Amino acid sequence: MFLIGHGISVRSDLPIPEWLFGWAAAMVLVVSFVALAVLWPEPRLQKPTWRPLPGGIGRVLASRPVEIICGAIGIFLLGLTIYAGLRGTQSTAANFAPIFIYVIFWLALVPLSVLFGDVFCAFNPWRAIGRGTAWVARVVSRSELPAPLEYPGWLGRWPAAVGIFAFATMELVASDGDKPDSLAVAAIAYSAVTFIGMALYGVERWIDRSEAFSVYFNLFSRLSAVETRDGEVGLRRPLSGLPRLESLPGTVALVAVMIGSVSFDGFTGKRPWNSISPDIAQVFQDRGLSPQHALEATFMLGLIGAVLFVAAFYWLGVLGAKSVGGGFSARRLAHEFVHTLVPIALAYVAAHYFTLLLFQGQAMAYLISDPLGKGDDIFGTANSQIDYTLIGANGTWYWQVAFVVAGHVAALMLAHDRALALYEDKRKAVRSQYWMLGVMVGFTSLALWLLSSANS
Amino acid sequence: MSRNQRIGLIVAAALVAVVAFVIASPGGDDEGDKASETTPTTATSGTETTTETQTEATAPPKPEATKIDIRAGEVAGGPAEIQVKNGDTVVIVVSSDARDDIHLHGYDIEKPVEPGKAATFRVEANLEGEFEIESHVAEDAGRDPLIGTLVVEPK
Repeated sequence: MFLIGHGISVRSDLPIPEWLFGWAAAMVLVVSFVALAVLWPEPRLQKPTWRPLPGGIGRVLASRPVEIICGAIGIFLLGLTIYAGLRGTQSTAANFAPIFIYVIFWLALVPLSVLFGDVFCAFNPWRAIGRGTAWVARVVSRSELPAPLEYPGWLGRWPAAVGIFAFATMELVASDGDKPDSLAVAAIAYSAVTFIGMALYGVERWIDRSEAFSVYFNLFSRLSAVETRDGEVGLRRPLSGLPRLESLPGTVALVAVMIGSVSFDGFTGKRPWNSISPDIAQVFQDRGLSPQHALEATFMLGLIGAVLFVAAFYWLGVLGAKSVGGGFSARRLAHEFVHTLVPIALAYVAAHYFTLLLFQGQAMAYLISDPLGKGDDIFGTANSQIDYTLIGANGTWYWQVAFVVAGHVAALMLAHDRALALYEDKRKAVRSQYWMLGVMVGFTSLALWLLSSANS
Repeated sequence: MSRNQRIGLIVAAALVAVVAFVIASPGGDDEGDKASETTPTTATSGTETTTETQTEATAPPKPEATKIDIRAGEVAGGPAEIQVKNGDTVVIVVSSDARDDIHLHGYDIEKPVEPGKAATFRVEANLEGEFEIESHVAEDAGRDPLIGTLVVEPK
């Protein structure tokens, strides 16, 4: 394969052996049946529970000075990434930009969001710049700014879905997607789009619905027990943030992109893909594309196919759930249950990328001392190396299975809870659950298959 | 149906599913199983025993070297896949008809190679995973740098 996929990954996981794959799949089935029998009979997650952190710590954490410091750190990191990408060495592994974007920003923020809530919101450089600019404009003009345009209702989370898809294209399709200067240019272009969006529709509205990474990390932070409410950090029941996910157009598409892109990344290592992709690439080459562009076109097709497959499979479950009656439209049901796919998306990311984060994350130790890859040694850590002995293949397999099964269980609980709240007739609630259970077993089996040695 | 009956029924169903699965699984994926049985684990180490009960009958043989030959920027016979177990000693000999720098990732060993002067990598495989072996000249030229993969499985 030609520099496609993870150019930054120098060590890949071994596939899960078939015996463990079998046990994991069996465990998923058992867990599902047990869940149907023993889960709570009344909805529990739908009502918000939240209490502030003790001793006023919650107010301090969400205070203005902390907000300004975090925002400044975010802006500094964005600036450093763009600077290193443009001015530093163009070797992927020796430059700060690719590792920071693909490993620290894209991967490390996921577990941080799940553990500590919406941390990206605090460090979001675009939000900080937007709010800072608005403040300066207010002070200079000594008046209130004109009200932003009204955000079109049909737009919903579509811009975020498109944004995450574009990021996945950069990561998995574009052959220059791991090149420092391409990444810097992409970061500048994305910043420009975000500034225009914020200027038109207001900072908070754009960040809340359209800024792809805010929406992405916010989805994961809804699994967390930590939530900031009215300028104070507090604790809630884990998972309880997800049922409150506002139903907006584009949400199903966003989640399909999230699961589909990780699936595609796993699928490209599988035999079916490796046997068919050269033929597809040949077709493009016969149409006059260069070998590299033909390969990119093939991967683009594969990525789109994976996203559509995930979306179609979810809709199949929704149509099944509709068939049990209750008077809900398919569209309504699709939105009522989409939040249950978030833990599954998390399981995909965690199982697929946690060793990449664990190992390539260590590259930060030398990259902060030498961000441009030009032989600097700012903090004296430029010669530190990645310790690949941290976790062996066996340990990796068990963690991967654990993530996938845990995601499955969380998804089941959320779907169960929503069905109880939605259907007046308890029997219909349970019957609708058979369909959602089918969807989840399907996604979970797919995740295990992608990680396993079957057909690899 | 009472709640306990329901639980009992479901536990029974789950048990049946597990038993059925365990019975079905050894022959479940015929094609895959056969493939993995018949595919010879690649050249390098001949020490792997096929059954776990069989004790090591022979003294550990000298590790066999995997040869990778680069001609006009292409690996003769395509990129090599070298499969070993944790703890094995791996020997990889890379030769090329042009000057090159060969990098074994993960183990992070880089050796120069020249026409007529091969680079010999001799490592104890103690890191598990899949590691790429790359040509830096090909990478700098924007070509596919992969010349081989070292796969280290747990013991």
